[in-house]
Amino acid sequence: MTTTPITGTPPSPAPATELVTVTVDGKTQQFPKGTVLLEACNQMGAGVPFFCYHPGLTSPAVCRQCLVDVKGQPKPVPSCYTPVADKMEVMTKSPRALDVRRQMLEFTLVNHPIDCPICDKAGECLLQKHYFDWDAKLARNDGIKVKKAKVVDIGPRIVLDQERCILCTRCIRVCDEVAKTHQLEMADRGDHEVLTTAPGHQLDNPYSLNTVDVCPVGALTSKDFRFAMRAWELYTTPSICPGCATGCNIEVHHSHGKIQRLIPRQNDQVNEHWMCDEGRLTYKRVHAQRLAAPMSGGVPVDWDRALDDAGRALRVALDAGPAQVGVVMNAQSTNEDLYALARLTFDHLGLGKVYLAGLDQGWSDDILVSADKNPNTAGAMAIGAGRLRTLLDLANDLKSGAVTTLLVVGTHGVIGKDGAPGALPLDRLTTLVVVGTHRDEVTAAAKVALPLAEWAESDGTFTNRLGMVQRVRAAVPPAGDSLPGWEILSHLARKLGATMEFTEAKTVFAEAKQKLPFMKDAEWGRPLLPVQLRFAGSRG
Amino acid sequence: MAVGVKVVNRPGSLAQQAYLPAIAEGLGVTFRHFVKNFFGNVTGNRKKTDIATMEYPEEKMKYPERNRGLHRLMLRDDGQVRCVACMMCPTVCPAHCITIVPEEAPDGRIEKRPMIFEIDELRCVVCGLCVEACPCDAIRMDTLDHAKPTYRRVDAILDKEELMSRGIQSTAVQGGVGAFWRERVGGQPQTPPAGAVVPAGAPHGPTPLRDHGHK
Repeated sequence: MTTTPITGTPPSPAPATELVTVTVDGKTQQFPKGTVLLEACNQMGAGVPFFCYHPGLTSPAVCRQCLVDVKGQPKPVPSCYTPVADKMEVMTKSPRALDVRRQMLEFTLVNHPIDCPICDKAGECLLQKHYFDWDAKLARNDGIKVKKAKVVDIGPRIVLDQERCILCTRCIRVCDEVAKTHQLEMADRGDHEVLTTAPGHQLDNPYSLNTVDVCPVGALTSKDFRFAMRAWELYTTPSICPGCATGCNIEVHHSHGKIQRLIPRQNDQVNEHWMCDEGRLTYKRVHAQRLAAPMSGGVPVDWDRALDDAGRALRVALDAGPAQVGVVMNAQSTNEDLYALARLTFDHLGLGKVYLAGLDQGWSDDILVSADKNPNTAGAMAIGAGRLRTLLDLANDLKSGAVTTLLVVGTHGVIGKDGAPGALPLDRLTTLVVVGTHRDEVTAAAKVALPLAEWAESDGTFTNRLGMVQRVRAAVPPAGDSLPGWEILSHLARKLGATMEFTEAKTVFAEAKQKLPFMKDAEWGRPLLPVQLRFAGSRG
Repeated sequence: MAVGVKVVNRPGSLAQQAYLPAIAEGLGVTFRHFVKNFFGNVTGNRKKTDIATMEYPEEKMKYPERNRGLHRLMLRDDGQVRCVACMMCPTVCPAHCITIVPEEAPDGRIEKRPMIFEIDELRCVVCGLCVEACPCDAIRMDTLDHAKPTYRRVDAILDKEELMSRGIQSTAVQGGVGAFWRERVGGQPQTPPAGAVVPAGAPHGPTPLRDHGHK
């Protein structure tokens, strides 16, 4: 477990060996040698359209939508396939370039079914965008369109519509280059060419939903998100995936206080443009089986009453013998929650028996998925600084009676999935106070259970396996009466006679940043309001 | 101090000064209207009377054809709802009175349909934008009817079945005009080339474009 701080601003890319001067539409700028001409043009604001190009994939130049005029070239060149050269003069808006691009767009639309009303991609579709930007005319072709298969089930998570496909092959390249499996192929020729699964395969690799993201049209749709929302109803908040220790940068797409989907956000140091299918479904737990109100003795009560009860129960136990009081931290909590808990436990109460809980280890690969299914193990280990014990220790301590009172903050994985490995004899406790997100065995067994906000409901930071401290943002309002962990712990500290007054997550972060070396270079970032999805922010 | 004073003489004749003939004349007009309207009403020939009011509820106002009234959901040829749950109407609705929850349709050719389609007629501001936004001629406000008064607010929320109960089959072609639309716009019956596949549900006669909301 490394805790090397690689935080703050990402290190700038290695200094380019050579710069070349490129003129685009009369403006001149220098680019490192080897830059793709399309990137150069669009960095200078030319807005060259494209379908098959993707910055994270190789470029086959099949869609011919990015053709531009280059001085000295007899024909327009595909800018996604052309590296910049010195003294290159590019005309992206010349009549010929505009003409060929418009003709290519018309050609792409010849057999497109235009079923935008029922297409999940409508609103974030590159074909729609380019049509409105560059053409926006009635069809000149009025023949009968070629019919292809719709609603083809090509895998456990994806539905294919062959009619909508514009044959850009981005999805094939995602499978080949990201997931390293060949599961999709083109079949047939001409206007009967279709996307299909490779013989004997289905699209079931653990990165298959990235094909939905990169699909410029609605040919590939996610079964989970299918027909759930139109793109323009969604608001987006940048965050971090809680699925594993990799800490993929994501965007949380939500509407009316409910998360609808998670999509990857580009971070070349962590996940580039991708995330795994498992991570995309982690949002489900935010809206399922949540503990919505404080519970005391199995009865819902208000916060004042619950905090009084929790404080009194803990105070009695502390007065009887602090050595028998245990605290369980969770690797699913943010650094801020963990820091507040560490302050309360180590500094104010002086407790020694602190245990680290978290979800069980799972599968991993050498692409993105980490075996550690907790997003903040590195942060918890660093904050614990060698003082943390395992759940096995806790089970032994419970059995031997060394711990009779337990404060659990975060219940994920406290009781193992199968019950057996992490099974805890919680019934041996005299007092169990739980700050938990879900209605599970632990909160059910608690004397006092306080509702905790999930990762998507509170601000904070996660430390991934590389030691990068990454910012998590509250996207949706907390379920029921639940509160962020640092706030609950501040209230609880006051009931226990400790002075730990945090007013917002940022103040916890600022204090933690000063005291913890691994957070030294971390940035809190600017406050952000959720942005409604529009074409400007399209992820096509 | 010479203020100019103009003396206006009263009407000259005695009849004018007494006012009585004018009163009688006015009463005569009133009486004439009374007779006309009273007997016209009694004989049931109200057209010939001057009565501007209506005998509501026996008699109801006839609305102009373009009146925007209670919503209805149009039907496909086989009686299914035309709506494909594209969310255009809740998006454009300024009163947020339309709630649609889509679902996968069992019919593979349709793919998407509304599981729940509700309109809160108390919230509706009767602007008609939902009708204009609809790409499928699925929602209309041409029932010439009002939202019914209800005892409970919840009863003013119309569900899919109620909206469909007023629906009829639309003459519009689902999924646009389809192939050979130029001939149809010209009013000429289209003749598909031999062997061509005509999409299901294509109309047999000319279908002017304006029927489909195209301008």
